[in-house]
Amino acid sequence: MISKRYVIKRLLLLVPVLFGVATLVFSILHLSPGNPATVVAGQQASAEEVRQVEERLGLTDPIWVQYGRFMLDTVQLDLGESWVIRKGEPVTSVLRWKFPITLELAVLGQIAGIMFGIPIGIVSAIKQDTITDHLSRVGALSGISIPIFWSGPLVILLFSVYLGWFPTSGRLTQRAYEGGAPQSTGVLLVDSLLEGNIIMFIDATWHLFLPAMVIGIYSMALISRMMRSSMLEVIRQDYIRTAHAKGQGRKITLLKHGLRNALIPVVTVIGIQFGSLLGGAVLTETVFNIRGIGMLLVDAITDGDYPIIQGTVLLFALVFTMVNLIVDLTYSYLDPRIEQ
Amino acid sequence: MAPDTGLAAPARRLATAAVAGVAAGLLLVVGLTVNGTLRGATETTFALGALLLGFGVLGWSGSVMAGRGIENMQRYMDTGSDWTEADSRRAMARISGFGVGVMLAASLATALL
Repeated sequence: MISKRYVIKRLLLLVPVLFGVATLVFSILHLSPGNPATVVAGQQASAEEVRQVEERLGLTDPIWVQYGRFMLDTVQLDLGESWVIRKGEPVTSVLRWKFPITLELAVLGQIAGIMFGIPIGIVSAIKQDTITDHLSRVGALSGISIPIFWSGPLVILLFSVYLGWFPTSGRLTQRAYEGGAPQSTGVLLVDSLLEGNIIMFIDATWHLFLPAMVIGIYSMALISRMMRSSMLEVIRQDYIRTAHAKGQGRKITLLKHGLRNALIPVVTVIGIQFGSLLGGAVLTETVFNIRGIGMLLVDAITDGDYPIIQGTVLLFALVFTMVNLIVDLTYSYLDPRIEQ
Repeated sequence: MAPDTGLAAPARRLATAAVAGVAAGLLLVVGLTVNGTLRGATETTFALGALLLGFGVLGWSGSVMAGRGIENMQRYMDTGSDWTEADSRRAMARISGFGVGVMLAASLATALL
């Protein structure tokens, strides 16, 4: 049973995390060279027009006033309006439609990582020092080392261009659906199921398969590596030996008694590296031309759209913290001593 | 000497770092003013202080939130690192304090100069 005090303590940690991220983003943007007012006004704008834009955006105020205002607005969940990309549209509204696309990709990647990483790690530990173990360790090392901007084009080349099994980009075969994709939640797989459109669901899954695999490679590699080490430690424990000595089969002993304990460190790693998945989404979306929050961030950086950059980074931090909270709670459920 | 208990040690750590930050911040403002305007110097100094504060606060909360997991991960992956959550927390608190000091110095400099 997870105590309320523990949950509240972990929830309170959200405050410094978001404060830290907001401060960091604010300072980085103000230390960056260039005047955002020039970007907003346009390269052909006169000095007077630039000055007017500066006044309108509050850039003429002292920096501590701007900082205080930004913090107060953020506390009230007012992330401002987009300056360039969706001029005048509230950032929260832009993020509302872009974030589900990235979340869908990251979650699918994580699921792929867990589904493959845990069994590979278990098999690798059980078959320690065999050819299977060596292969899985080399695979894990490669997965951790290979960057997405290399593995992405590689899988496109192999599975899309040469073999033709999967599409090269996008989320749907657009021309197949009149009126576009459904937008109840923004998560295409969920929306298509909600509408009972199985063909669209299959099409979306077909499109998301390669990006999810690419984003999940790193996760899978790390999880399998952790699972192997953790399982090896569990295998050497007295309770496993005892269960085995009492006549219980090796596989049953490991799965029944060992797996839960071996999963504890793996669960924490899953939470920690979810941030990498979100970061990886920026690259994956660019490679596979998926217009989610990752591409939005890239566009915002290119166009100097400060409110979008600040909002996106804050949202990433919030999601990362929430995922870690869930992982913490799972962790303390698996091992109640953690709360002490 | 009696061991540090409660909030005394963290508070002292923050305070000494903040004092050092004020001194460094004032020096930075003076240094930057030589080659530019006072407004530009105080803005840059303030932003640098905020950068340190943000980094420190984020690092501190990250250590508290995920430090145990990172310690475990390093242990299981045999990295041989002696990184600990407690050390990281202390270091990040100092960085935060220093950042606050620099931000204060930038504000002070505008009032004084």
